[in-house]
Amino acid sequence: MKRRDGRYIFVAPAIVLLSLVTIYPAIYVFILSLRRKMLIFHISRFTGLDNYIFLLKDDRFWNALWNTVYFTAVSVSLEMLLGLGIALLLNRPFAAKGMVRAAVLVPWAIPTVVSARMWEWIFNSDFGILNYLLGMKINWLGNPSWALHAAIFADVWKTTPFVAILLMAGLQVIPRELGQAARIDGAGAWGVFRHVTLPLLKPVILVALIFRTLDAFRVFDVVYVLTGGGPANSTETLSVYAYKVLFQTLQFGYGSALSVVVFLCVGGISILYIKLLSGIRA
Amino acid sequence: MIILLCLLIFPGCSDRETSEKAHGTVLVFKHGKIAGDPGPLRRLLARFERENPGIEVSDETLPASSDAQHQFYVINLEAGSADFDVMGLDVIWVPEFARAGWLRETDRLMPQKERDDFFPGPVEAVTYRGKAWAVPWYIDAGVLYYRKDLLDRYGFKPPGTWQELVFESQYVTAMEKGLYGFVWQGKQYEGLVCNVLEFLRSNGGGVLSNGRVVIDSPANRFALGFMRDLIVKYRVTPPLVTTADEESTRHIFGNGRALFMRNWPYAWNIFTVENSQVRGRVGVAPLPAFPGGRSSPTLGGWQLGINRCSRHPEAAERFVRFMTSPSSQKYLALTIGYKPTRKSLYRDHELLARQPFIAGLYGILMNARSRPVTPYYMMMTQVLQPEFSAALTGVRKPAEALGSVARQTGHIMGIEQ
Amino acid sequence: MRKTLFYSVLLLVVGYCCGPYLWQLITSLKPDGELTALPPVFPERVTFSHYVSIFRESRFFRIILNSAAVASVTTVLSIVIGSLAAFGLAKLNLRRKGVILGFVLSVSMFPPIATVCPLYLVIRALGLRDTWWGLVLTYTTFSLPLSIWTLTGFFARIPDEIYLAARVDGCSPFQALCRIMLPVAAPGVFTAAILVFIFAWNEFLFALTLTSTTASRTVPVAIALFPGLHEIPWGDIAAASVVVTVPLLALVFLFQRRIVEGLTAGAVKG
Repeated sequence: MKRRDGRYIFVAPAIVLLSLVTIYPAIYVFILSLRRKMLIFHISRFTGLDNYIFLLKDDRFWNALWNTVYFTAVSVSLEMLLGLGIALLLNRPFAAKGMVRAAVLVPWAIPTVVSARMWEWIFNSDFGILNYLLGMKINWLGNPSWALHAAIFADVWKTTPFVAILLMAGLQVIPRELGQAARIDGAGAWGVFRHVTLPLLKPVILVALIFRTLDAFRVFDVVYVLTGGGPANSTETLSVYAYKVLFQTLQFGYGSALSVVVFLCVGGISILYIKLLSGIRA
Repeated sequence: MIILLCLLIFPGCSDRETSEKAHGTVLVFKHGKIAGDPGPLRRLLARFERENPGIEVSDETLPASSDAQHQFYVINLEAGSADFDVMGLDVIWVPEFARAGWLRETDRLMPQKERDDFFPGPVEAVTYRGKAWAVPWYIDAGVLYYRKDLLDRYGFKPPGTWQELVFESQYVTAMEKGLYGFVWQGKQYEGLVCNVLEFLRSNGGGVLSNGRVVIDSPANRFALGFMRDLIVKYRVTPPLVTTADEESTRHIFGNGRALFMRNWPYAWNIFTVENSQVRGRVGVAPLPAFPGGRSSPTLGGWQLGINRCSRHPEAAERFVRFMTSPSSQKYLALTIGYKPTRKSLYRDHELLARQPFIAGLYGILMNARSRPVTPYYMMMTQVLQPEFSAALTGVRKPAEALGSVARQTGHIMGIEQ
Repeated sequence: MRKTLFYSVLLLVVGYCCGPYLWQLITSLKPDGELTALPPVFPERVTFSHYVSIFRESRFFRIILNSAAVASVTTVLSIVIGSLAAFGLAKLNLRRKGVILGFVLSVSMFPPIATVCPLYLVIRALGLRDTWWGLVLTYTTFSLPLSIWTLTGFFARIPDEIYLAARVDGCSPFQALCRIMLPVAAPGVFTAAILVFIFAWNEFLFALTLTSTTASRTVPVAIALFPGLHEIPWGDIAAASVVVTVPLLALVFLFQRRIVEGLTAGAVKG
């Protein structure tokens, strides 16, 4: 009995801190989602699942959900592939490795408030450097068909280093001998990668995948600055919609319901990931 | 853990009470960031402190973005915060904040005879249910910038109607290379609503009329369709306008790449600077209208409001009265370019001598019309923005968009039931 | 041949990552009139006025100090608490490990905009508005999921035999954590540290809500305060972003060396 208590002391600080700070906000959001609360009109009453029922009929919600799912799927896939590629590329010794690794982290290091505006200017149809280099006048952010993809590109640029640095660390702890042993056994580079590297990388890939998906699904800053959710709500993600409902229209009940939906979606996706990549947690 | 928490608390407490005993009353003035030198505002505050011994003013800046400030105020005022006394309010928030019970009434600060000295637009914007809830501090309105040199070259005058503007743009851009005709703000944000209303109202239309939703009207459909046609049919406006905001268009016009621009008066000072490419070549005129309509610039500008939970309401009132007094407004106009909300200052010799530009603004500001003055406006604009954007980008036909706006707005107006 | 291919791909990657940042650098050296003039790409007249302006007008030194202090303390706390928890989860065969990990992860599942309001009330109740500690408390909490999950992954990969051997040698679990697990998992620890530091350095929403003066204002909020009502001083923003990214890069560069050293240490033992 005593031994078990002693072991739990290790996770105690984390759990206590997390509970103290986040239990109240979490309960607050859940309870609010069951109420009709409009600050301006001093309306605050319990309405059960009304907010959720309204949500199911709300076109703007479905539009936001679709934008969010599309954004997340494309963005995370690109980030994982590029991040993995960069991590593998940088895994071998070469000159100035330290500096290159620092350079690769630059996009992640730039503050989001700056990088979003920076991309807004790069994508500018008239004086943006992208159109200048391409010699064309594409309306990246003003065309409903292009805008979401521009946002995805800006987000992928910013967050690929996050994946890359996690995978780089993951690759570091794979003993080189394993790969060498496989090669002696006759495996090619792809074989080594598939049967040695990838399985050992799975825990780190899982972490990168989960956290990137969490963040992409909740994306707010880059979209809000680049396009404000437009044009014509073509880039409005769930977080942007929730933000507008909460802080512009001051409907705290409905805004909280939207947040709970994000929470549930992300929770569902995480469980899916863990089940798919299960059996690896030691 | 509890001990740790206590240790955390003690260094962190901001002790307003004791510091106030040392200095007297401390008023906290929260406002958006003022571009440029913060010196002039501080000097003005110092003057207030000299004239009111015992009161100290602490000014705290918020990000200039209207949305960021709105978010800040909502979070703080809903929590009943007394951390600030006087706040800068965007012209569209006043009815909302008043209805929410977050503001202290300011009728005392704007007695009737004084009220007449303010422009009618801002006065309407700060009045809710017959009472005043803020005092207009500085004013903004949409104006038409044009390239004087290019219009002169081809013998044109600033256009009086939108159709004239189209004609002049097409003519001049056919002659000159690398020039856009007319740039304005079409990104999906509040600025879009300002722009669209300038077209709708100049055609006799609008959003609300005596509390009724009248947005889906033939006049509005025509005006909105006309805006879309500027891009696709007449081709005087580049497609990039659907993602343009104030600064992008200001840069484009300032680089000499546009004939006409709709923007706020702030850009004027930037165009008159030493190394501006359009120095001496820019003129400002009232916005055009449709035939038979009236130029209807949208009202902008900021007001000063008092937090209802403020612990020093009398001192706050004195402060607001001071900051909106003729001398303060004149000082701010001369130093940081805030346009005064008092009509009398537009006849002030010194101000006119130093800033002749504002003489031309008087007529425009008298015509400036506020967006619908209703606590529902913030909800309404969240409906207006995407639908207007959809009409401009061709995702929806104007009739469809306006019909959708009418339906949703009708629903919003009934939301209190 | 393969080497040239490798180096050209490397160059492409570095260009892709650093290109926009170099563009920021170039922009920060352009005088106001040239900011949106294209061509030319390079400034005709190089000016340092933007750098001068940000330090003079907005007390940027104090702001960088705030950010550095908050981010450092957050990182230390997050890694310490996170390592303890990760160690417990990975090696000590706790029951309900999945529940704990799930609970930890769920903290990151709410959109920050939803939690900012109630969190503000919590911080206010604790009297921590506009203080370093208010931010540290918030950031540590919200960075713990990443810390814990990353470190758990790395600790779990260390073979159980190594841990059991240390215990047989007489180490308490805590000593085993410090002397064996952390050094061997060094790449993971330093990676988590870098990511937490950058998170705390660049976080905007909570910083905006919980700070109000330069007493605790951090870098992202200060940069958001550069624009005026309509004007955006793009030169100043570009200069600030250059200045603010350099310490992070220096930090990463330093940590990179430690990762290599950590690997060597692990290899010797392994």
